[in-house]
Amino acid sequence: MGLIQRAIEAAGMSTISISLSKEITRSVRPPRAVYPGFPLGHPISFPGQTVRQLSTLRLLLKYLEEMNMPGTIIELDLNKSSEQK
Amino acid sequence: MISNLKQLKDRTLAKIFSKNPRLFRGWAKHSTFMRFTNIPWTPLKRNIRNSRLALITTGGVRLTSQPSFDMLDPNGDPTFREIPSTISINDLIITHNYYDHSDADKDINIVFPVERVQDLKTAGDISDVNHRHFSFMGHILGKHIHTLMNDVAPRVARMLKEDCVDIVILTPA
Repeated sequence: MGLIQRAIEAAGMSTISISLSKEITRSVRPPRAVYPGFPLGHPISFPGQTVRQLSTLRLLLKYLEEMNMPGTIIELDLNKSSEQK
Repeated sequence: MISNLKQLKDRTLAKIFSKNPRLFRGWAKHSTFMRFTNIPWTPLKRNIRNSRLALITTGGVRLTSQPSFDMLDPNGDPTFREIPSTISINDLIITHNYYDHSDADKDINIVFPVERVQDLKTAGDISDVNHRHFSFMGHILGKHIHTLMNDVAPRVARMLKEDCVDIVILTPA
């Protein structure tokens, strides 16, 4: 997915991605990534948890606005956060 | 018969990795991925609240009316599917044997937050949701990497640029 992100960013749009593997992300080096700590298959959180899904997206927008260093990976532990359903 | 065995093997591995994050991390640590030294960078052109957003997923999402992604080619499928942003989630389905999407089958927003980004627009977090999003099947190996990097991804980038998209959120699976 980082390969696609790099192409979009190179074309002149600001991008941010979810990382599910820090190892892969460190290698491919997309411009901005957030590692939320969710399990594989759950980049935005869990089924039916609409508030938590929205919170994840808002975090992405926040970091998209704040990041100014290319290649930054923000590491979070949202999987251990309390349920916000 | 061989194709059935391949699909069974891929789905079993996906379930094992999903249930055992340490095994997945070990696999990732000992695998070789594309390695870059440069990093493309486009600063935000306008405030997020005034921006038009599009989604890209590599979760194998497609319309039920669109052709399936190729699950038999061991190098994956570098094609993409265009997804109208106002589509009902009942018209979406996932074709991907390389991760366990049983939870995403219950609520596709966890890999492709198509309804949640409309919520962001309604709440005023963003100005607009683009009229289309894009979906890939993110298991790309061998010769397909070149196709993805040099043909398909730049083509999708041009389409998003033509749509005057400002910001893009990408979700793997």
